[in-house]
Amino acid sequence: MDNITIAIAKGRLGEKGLELFKGTDMEIVREKNSRKLVFKDISGKTTFIFVKPSDVVTYVEKGVADLGIVGKDVILEENKDVYEIMDLDYGKCRFAIAGFKDRLSDKKNDVLRIASKYPQYVQSVFENRDQRIEIIKLNGSVELAPLIGLSDVIVDIVETGNTLRDNGLEILEDLDHISARLIVNKVSYRFKYGIIQEIERILGGE
Amino acid sequence: MRFTSITEELEVTKFKKRVEREFEGYFEKRGFSLIEPRIFQKYDLYVRSNFRQDSSKTVKVLSGNSRIYILRPDITTNVLGEIFSKWDGEPPLKVYYNSKIYLNKPGGKILENYQMGIESLGEDVLAADQEIVEMATSLMGTLGKPVILELGSSKYLDGIFKELELDLDEESEVRDLISKKNRYGLRIKLKSLGLEGTALEHILHLQGDMEEVIRMAKAYPMNREMSEAIDELEKLMESFNRRYTTGEIKFDLSMLPDLDYYDGIIFKGYCLGVPNKILSGGRYDRLTEEFGLRVPAIGFMIDLDLVTSIRIEEGR
Repeated sequence: MDNITIAIAKGRLGEKGLELFKGTDMEIVREKNSRKLVFKDISGKTTFIFVKPSDVVTYVEKGVADLGIVGKDVILEENKDVYEIMDLDYGKCRFAIAGFKDRLSDKKNDVLRIASKYPQYVQSVFENRDQRIEIIKLNGSVELAPLIGLSDVIVDIVETGNTLRDNGLEILEDLDHISARLIVNKVSYRFKYGIIQEIERILGGE
Repeated sequence: MRFTSITEELEVTKFKKRVEREFEGYFEKRGFSLIEPRIFQKYDLYVRSNFRQDSSKTVKVLSGNSRIYILRPDITTNVLGEIFSKWDGEPPLKVYYNSKIYLNKPGGKILENYQMGIESLGEDVLAADQEIVEMATSLMGTLGKPVILELGSSKYLDGIFKELELDLDEESEVRDLISKKNRYGLRIKLKSLGLEGTALEHILHLQGDMEEVIRMAKAYPMNREMSEAIDELEKLMESFNRRYTTGEIKFDLSMLPDLDYYDGIIFKGYCLGVPNKILSGGRYDRLTEEFGLRVPAIGFMIDLDLVTSIRIEEGR
C-alpha cells in the first residue's frame, strides 16, 4: 500500500527535480547513459517514470502517475484537471510577447499574427483582449518567425533574453512567471495525502 | 483489426442494466421514487442559476420560434422545475433518476453520459444529510475497492468571502487557486490583495481526518456562516458514530462545489486507482428559492458508466 509513481519531465528540468530527492530514501540510482524510462527508488516504494514534458500533465491527470514534476509553461498550455501543489522554485523564466517594436503599427483592427509553441496558452492570454489574432503553431526556432515575415510577434519562454537580442527582437510584454511545479492527480491526493505531504517536505515545502 | 465485437458490447450492456436494477432497487427500498427529467431546458434559466459555470459546455438547440434551449447538462435543476410546479413543500419528497446528460467536449464532440442520482426535498436537514451520505457510501461500497468520500461545506468558504468583500474577478482568482490546492500561489495572491493573516491563509491545511479538521477549524475565529458549517459537519460526524472505518470519510474545508447552487455540505466520492470522481453531490436549499419555495434539499449523482466499468474490471 501507498506505493507512489512520479512522472518526471525528460531534460534539464526533470534532472534538477531528481536531485532534490538525493540523500533521502527516495533517491534513485541510474547507470550512466541509461536509456531506461522506469526506475525504482532505494526503498522500492516509489517509481519514477521519464516522459516528454507535455505528457507529464496527461499522465498525472489520467492517474497512471500520482505526481509529476513539470514546468508551469506546460501546465498552462495543457490546462488539465490536476492539483498544482508546489512551486519548486527553480527553472525560473517567464512567458513574454516579443517582436520588433518599431515595425509594430497599431494592429488593433488588423489581425495580429502570433507564432508560438504554446497555441492554447496564447489563446487564453488574448481571450479577453480586444484584438483579433491568428495563432501560428511552431515546434521550434520561434524567434525566426518575425524575421522572415511569418508572424508579427511571438509568444515564448524568455530566460535571459539573449536569443531574442541576438535576433533583434525585444520584449513587448511580460506574461506569466514560470518555474518547475509539483502536480498531483486529484484522486491520489485524497488517497495518499500523508505520503504526498511527506514528499512536499522533502522537496522543501512547509 | 476490430477492437470490440457486438457480442461483447451486448454483454457490457447486460451487465450495466444489472447494476442499474440493483441500484434502483436499493433506492426504492429506501423510499425513493423514479422521476423522468425532460431533455430540453431553457438556456437563460440555466445561465442565471449557474453564473460561475462555463455555459459554453452546454449543447444548444433552437426551437421552432428560435428560442435557445440546451440538452440537460445536469439533472437536478431539471427535476426541480418539474417538481416545484406541482408541489408545495409538504410532504417530504424523495426521488431518484437514471437518465443521460449532454455536454460539449473539445474537438466538437458531444458527451452523452448516463447519470443516476437521488434528491431528498423537504426533509429535516441533519436527518437528510445523514441519510444521503450513508446511501452514497453504501453504493460506493459495492465497488469492491478502497473508496473515500470527501466531505466539505460550501458555507465555510462562502462565509470567509462574505467577510472579505473582494470584487468578483479577485474572488474567482482566489477560488481558482484554492481549487488547484495551490498553496504558494494562494499565499502570493493574498499578499498582493493585502489579505495576509485572514482565514484564507490556512484554508488548504483544513483537510484530512474528520476530528482533526474540526479541531483545527475551531482554533480560528469564525463568523456565523463558518460556524454553522463547522457545526453541521460536526453533528454529521457524531451521527456516523464511528460506523465508518478511519479513512473512509475525509473532511476538506477547502473543497469547492462543482455547481454554484450548493449551500451546505458538499461531497465527492473517489475510488482507488480510478482517476475520476464516482459520485458528487451536496445541499442546495438556496436553489429551491428560485423555484418559488425555500425548502431543505440535498442530493447526489453517481457516474453509472464508471461504476459499471469498475465492477466489470473487479469481476474479472
